[in-house]
Amino acid sequence: MSFAAPAFLLGLLFVPLGLAAARLARGRRRRYALRFPATATVAAVLDRGPQWRRFIPPALLALAVTALALALARPERTVAVPIEEASVVLVSDASGSMAATDVAPSRLDAAREAALTFISKVPKQLRVGLVGFSSAPHTVLRPTLDRETLAVTLSGLQASGGTATGDALAVALDTLAPDASNATAKRPPAAIILLSDGKTTEGSDPIEAAREAGRLHIPVYTVALGTPDGVLPGGPAGFVPVPPDPETLREMSRVSRGQAFEVDDGDELHGVYDTLGRSVGTRPEQRELTAGFAGGGLVLLLAAVGMSVWWRGRV
Amino acid sequence: MSQTPVLVSPPGRRGPGPMPGAAIHALDLGLVRRAGGRLPGEHRGLGVGVGTELAQIRTYQVGDDVRQIDPSASARTGQPHVRQHVPERALTTWIVIDLSPSMAFGTAIRLKSDVAEGVAKVVARLGVRRGGRVGLVACGTPDLQVLPPVGGRRALGAVDRLLARGVAPDGDSERCGLRAALTRVRALARQPGLVVVASDLRDDVPWSRSLRNLVAAGQQVVTAEVLDPRELELPDAGVLVLVDPETGRHVEADTTSASLRTAFAAREAQRRERVSAALKRAGSRHAVVRTDGDWLLELGRAMA
Repeated sequence: MSFAAPAFLLGLLFVPLGLAAARLARGRRRRYALRFPATATVAAVLDRGPQWRRFIPPALLALAVTALALALARPERTVAVPIEEASVVLVSDASGSMAATDVAPSRLDAAREAALTFISKVPKQLRVGLVGFSSAPHTVLRPTLDRETLAVTLSGLQASGGTATGDALAVALDTLAPDASNATAKRPPAAIILLSDGKTTEGSDPIEAAREAGRLHIPVYTVALGTPDGVLPGGPAGFVPVPPDPETLREMSRVSRGQAFEVDDGDELHGVYDTLGRSVGTRPEQRELTAGFAGGGLVLLLAAVGMSVWWRGRV
Repeated sequence: MSQTPVLVSPPGRRGPGPMPGAAIHALDLGLVRRAGGRLPGEHRGLGVGVGTELAQIRTYQVGDDVRQIDPSASARTGQPHVRQHVPERALTTWIVIDLSPSMAFGTAIRLKSDVAEGVAKVVARLGVRRGGRVGLVACGTPDLQVLPPVGGRRALGAVDRLLARGVAPDGDSERCGLRAALTRVRALARQPGLVVVASDLRDDVPWSRSLRNLVAAGQQVVTAEVLDPRELELPDAGVLVLVDPETGRHVEADTTSASLRTAFAAREAQRRERVSAALKRAGSRHAVVRTDGDWLLELGRAMA
């Protein structure tokens, strides 16, 4: 929360000032007290209720003044507003190395789960597309509002083949910005989330594709999945090491002004997708909360006066 | 550093008002049943002694005053007999007066302390008649103020001088209550006599036991309860900040509330009933003297 006119926060000084004034007034009232021998009897019959009641109206009043002083300073809150027409493409690696089980239950299954979580978190108006790739981008779903199709397509991904990250990124860019020659054309905001677990083995250079994305103002958020000692069965040694390649992915996110994440287990992946789901497709906006504070202050003020009159017969 | 005076003249003091000589002359301490002063006087005492009224005639015992031998009885019976009389003694009157700060209050003609002062003065004037002696114990001050019993003008002067000093100032200091005063009188008054108490009896009834003991010791007790009408009922006067003169306690009360006023009146009535019952149980006469009425008349009725 921030304040548009913080100078008015000085109004908060009215709270201690008011309390001091109330104390003074109380002392003055005592000076004009009436001597009365039967005071003890009056005190005994006085229906004062519990002692804490005495403090409620002043406390409410102090709160009301606080709220009104804060309202005067025009408080603002940053809220995430869904961007109209925004789209995101999930570029998901489905190469053979995704079958490695160093991330439970397997890399691909964890990625699928996390992607489904992501879909459920993002705003309804966000279009989400999917590019699944191995040796070549084979599954392409243009950005759509239809979450059902997306979920079905996601579950259809199978781990096999090599890793053509550059080509997949190019296809994703294609679905987001068909008119790539005109970089300055007015286009709804877009983003790419790239999930990969290894080195690019085939196709074009992924860094180049990422640079192109940066030129089109499409940030690429990269997620490197897997642990350095992830292995696949086979090969002459009985196993093939399939470590992730975080350096390339980091570079890709850097040139496209995105963000890079490295995860090595399912929960962490969920966390990353959760973060992305909340930030991608929305933009922060300052919302003024003045009315709420003023209204609250007014209600508190009325409550303080009402209770005072009800319990003590005066304001 | 100036010390707080023990007694101050309260603001709004007006004195007890007129005490017509004729009225006082018509009054007398007639209610006294027995007196036990050292000097011969006109009040009948306990046992036998010097007097004019015959108590008994009995046979002469060795040691009896031979001047008391009754010739007729001795002649008729053939045995020496002596006459013995009911002793006639001068009366000792003790005045117990409350000088606590709550007495400096009055909303009608005069303050409660003025009324108590009047009661004490009248009783003193009646008490010094016919050789009687008057003592005084004042409570409500940090220490009891005691005037030992003396007779004549000296007694009147001493009583008037003490009463002229006023009452104890406000504050929450420790004070002697009525109970201490009654206990002191019990210790000082060796012979049966009269005790007149003038107080507002506001400190509930912790004194009832001392009062019973005093009556059991042969003292005749008259209690003058000093009242102000404002203490019985609260007026409808808006929100009042009240301060207790004896404890310094502040209370804010909304007197526009009828329920508060009713509850106050009921509680005060209850308190007065308790006081009345305690006095009755102890065997004391109960006179109610008010700041808005003729206290001398009320006192006279109680003395009759």
